[in-house]
Order: sequence, then C-alpha cells, then structure tokens
Amino acid sequence: MRNGGRVFISNILVRIFLILYCILTLAPLITVFSSSLRTIGNHRSHLDLFVEFSLESYAAAYNKMDFPQVLLNSLVTTGSSLVLIVLFGSAASYPISRIKSKFGKFLYYFFISGLVIPAQMTIIPVAQMISGLKIPSTRFTPMIMFITCSMPFTTFLYTGFIKSVPVEIEEAAYIDGAGLLRRFSQMVFPLLKPATVSVIITQGIWIWNDYFFPMVFISKQEQYSLPVAMLQFLGDRENPTQWNVLFASCFLCALPLVIMFAIFQKQFITGVAAGAIKG
Amino acid sequence: MKTGNGNAGLVMPKKMFLFAIPAISIYFTFWVFPIFQLFHYSFTNFNGVNRNYRFIGLRNYIILMKEGTLTSVISNTMIYAAVLVIMSNIIALVLAALLNTNIRERAIYRTAAYFPTLFSAIVIGFVWSYVYMPGEGMIANLMNIMGLDGSGFNVLASFKYALYAIINVDIWKHIGTTMIIYLAGLQTIDSNLLEAAVIDGCTGWQMFRFIKLPLISATITINVILTVINGLKAYDYVFIMTNGGPGKSTNTLMYTVYKLAFTEQLMGKSAALSIVAFILIVAVTITMLIYMNKVEL
Repeated sequence: MRNGGRVFISNILVRIFLILYCILTLAPLITVFSSSLRTIGNHRSHLDLFVEFSLESYAAAYNKMDFPQVLLNSLVTTGSSLVLIVLFGSAASYPISRIKSKFGKFLYYFFISGLVIPAQMTIIPVAQMISGLKIPSTRFTPMIMFITCSMPFTTFLYTGFIKSVPVEIEEAAYIDGAGLLRRFSQMVFPLLKPATVSVIITQGIWIWNDYFFPMVFISKQEQYSLPVAMLQFLGDRENPTQWNVLFASCFLCALPLVIMFAIFQKQFITGVAAGAIKG
Repeated sequence: MKTGNGNAGLVMPKKMFLFAIPAISIYFTFWVFPIFQLFHYSFTNFNGVNRNYRFIGLRNYIILMKEGTLTSVISNTMIYAAVLVIMSNIIALVLAALLNTNIRERAIYRTAAYFPTLFSAIVIGFVWSYVYMPGEGMIANLMNIMGLDGSGFNVLASFKYALYAIINVDIWKHIGTTMIIYLAGLQTIDSNLLEAAVIDGCTGWQMFRFIKLPLISATITINVILTVINGLKAYDYVFIMTNGGPGKSTNTLMYTVYKLAFTEQLMGKSAALSIVAFILIVAVTITMLIYMNKVEL
C-alpha cells in the first residue's frame, strides 16, 4: 500500500516536470502563433495571447512570399532530390555491403568520412566550379549539393541495412536465373523499407528547411524555395510594427512540414531513431 | 551450408560496383575534389573573381593567426560545441528516461518536445530574435510582468552572454532529435533484465545508473558524437541572429568561413580557415570516438 502511494506521488512529480518542460519549450512558438493571428496594426503586448483572430497578417505574408510559387519550388526540389538520393545511395551501398574486398571497404570509408565535414566548407570551390562549368543558376542547381551532402549518411545507413538481408535469398534467385538488377530492385530494395523511410525523413527535413545552398546558388526571386523566401524578412526582425506579418510568414513556412508530421508521426519518430540506432 | 569463395564471386560479381558509379561521380566531383581545391586556394590570394591569383605560401594562415581571428573563432566554436553537447545530452537523456515509463499521455509530451525540430533554422532564428528582443521581446516583457526591470535586457548585444544565448537556441531546437534517439535506445533494453533487477530489490535510480545507462552506452556515444559535430558546424543562428556580433563575440568557424568568402571576398583566407576547421573537426571527432569507446559507465 505504502509503495503504491510512493509510485503515485513520483508519477505526479514526473508529470509536473514534463508539463513544465513542454510549456517552456512551446512558449515561444505559442506566443508567435498567437500574434500571427492578429491584424497587421495590432501592437498590443504579444504576451496577451489569442486576443484576436484574423488572417490579415497571413494574407500579407502569403503575398509577400509569393507562397504558391515558393511552395511549388520547395516541393519539386525536395521531392526530386529525395528520389535521386534514395536511388543513388541504395545502389551504391549494394556492392559495398555485398562484396568483401579492399575496394569495397575503401568505398565505405570514402563515403562515411563525409559525415563529419560541414557542408558550408566546400561551398567556395563548388561555387567556383559551378560558374566555371557554366551550370545555369536554376531552382534545380541546389539539388546537386543536396544529393552530394546526403551521400555519406545515406550510404552509411543502407550499407548497415543491406548487411542484415540474408545472402541466401539472393543465392536462390541467382540459381533461378535472376540478374543483378532484378535481384536488387525486386528482392533487396523492398526489404530496405525502414532505411528508405529513415533517409526520406531525415534528409527530407534537412533539405526542406535548408536555406544555405539555395541562398548561394539562386538569384531570381521566382526560383526561391520556402526558407529562402523567408530571408527577405530579415530586416523585419528588429521592426516590431512588422512582427505580426513576420510571425505569420514563419508559420506559413513551417505549415507543410507540420502537416506532414501530423500525418506521418510514427514514421518521423522511427525514421529519426533508426538512423542512429542502426549505426 | 558453406558458400565457397568462387561461388560468392558468381552470385556477387565485381561488376556490381557499376551500381555505385552515380553516387561516386557526384560525391567525388562536388565533395572530394573541392576539398583538395580548398587546400590549393588556401595558399593563394584568390578573391573569387580574378583568375590571375598568386601563390602566397602560408601568408593566409599567418594573417589569421596574427589578427587573433583564429584563437577567438576556435575558442567560440569549442565553447559552443562543449555547452551544446553537455546540456542537450543531459536534458534529452532525462526527458527520455522520464518518457520511458508507462505514463499514458507520453505521446503528447514526446510530440511537444520534438516539435521545434520541424522548423527551419531561419524561422527559429526569427522566433528567438523576438524572444530576446530588448523592450518588446518576450523575455523583456515577462520580466516586466514579474516586476523585474526588463528595460535593460538585451542579451544579444552582450559581449559576455550573446554566444550562450545563441547556444541556448540550438539546444532548444535539437533536444527533440537527441531525445528520440535516447528513447529508442532505452526501448531496446530487454524487459526481463529490468524485472530481474526489481526482484533483486533495485531502486529506480540504481536501475537507471547501473543497468540502463551501461546498456545504452552505444546510443550515448552516437548522440554525443552527433552533437559535437553539430556544434563544431554551428552557423545558422550566428548568421540569422547576430552576424557574429557584438564585436567578434559570436563568430564561429563556419560563420567566419562564410563571411570571409562571401562578404569580404577573401576566398584564399576563407579557404585557409576552412582547412583549419577541417583539421579541428576531424581531430576532435576521432579523439571523442576513441575516448568514448574506452569509458566504462
């Protein structure tokens, strides 16, 4: 009985701690969200939460960002980057994990050594190279760097997963006359679904939110992705009269990913964890 | 049944390596090759436009050292990484341990803690610029409400605290990811083991310290290494919130690399700093990996 009482009290303490932590974590976001729902000219203290519900600030942010255009740019570049990352990464990991040779081992370290090197570092030579090779500046140019920078993590993860797919099933398929391409695409790849989910979630969140490469490679406004479109609000940060619109644009920018998270919450959680635990 | 070597060669022929060609070519062209070029640039006075640059030996490195840029930038970056690693891992581990009990509404807490990681760094930078803003900002306002004088609050302009204010934002954003990884690690522990410990009279703290913690040591290593790398790469919030200021107090390695290259057009100098960053990051990561594998919890 006494023990039960202690468990009850410790449960309550744990809950209080967790609730306080959540409030502390979410307070900035909640305050900003409440102000984003005000009219542009409402400059009451931002701590008076949810005093007004208006979409005026959202409408202003929507127009200033050219939301449909930048959303489309973001969707297209993130989507096509992810397809190519999954394709290149899984294909490269197939020989690396299946063939036990010095070259295979070398390739593995060749790729994973990139895990520690910051992406910003290579930007000077890469920017030089892109202008030297006359690669045009389009909304697709940053994709080159998204794919490149994803290779270390993607090959690292896929190599780990392919190793756990038994070789015996491939041997059986070989005897039945299945070629390499068919074995990979129809037998091995479908078994790598957890790895693919993890790659899509982790790399997808990063690419969707990245403003660095688009900022360096894109100059035309109609080619901006969502986070780059946010950069034009940089001056409003210190101008309280523009804050309601700025806050609305923050939530417009985050909205697509928040919706995705609401739908695929389980995949997000397992995908983020799988990437680290498998290593 | 044992598969002979010749047999394996038939099932897994060398031509499989063709599969790796797309990945190798893009990775070599835009990652490996640029790093070699970076070495090359670091010994020149290249400014990004004029192709007739000269070889100037170690001068870029010497200037970086003489100006004091190197020391201040490296010490800022090391403080950043150290505080980030310690704080985010401790908080995330405590959260994960608490969430790993059978609280019914734990999915709600988990979602709340993970939520900030969904936002782009640029949005987070704006939100926290508001939080830290003097006068009308969230903290200044809260101080006023609580009867403290919030009018003097301006943390981003403080030489002493601006760096920590920025690290705080990074901790806030990354706890979610770290916590999810710890939670997954804790969930791989065999429940039979824990039941046996309860029968043997293990208290909650003993269980955590002597059973769970050693069993998730691999997870701890991964999380620590990941946060160290993140800390050493720190760039976003300096760029969005302080531009390295006040003075040079929040200049980090990666932000300075960017600023030297794109604002000051000193590509050679920026390349030299990149090389220093490269060596530092590799050295710290390898040292940490060796150390973490030796420590017994």
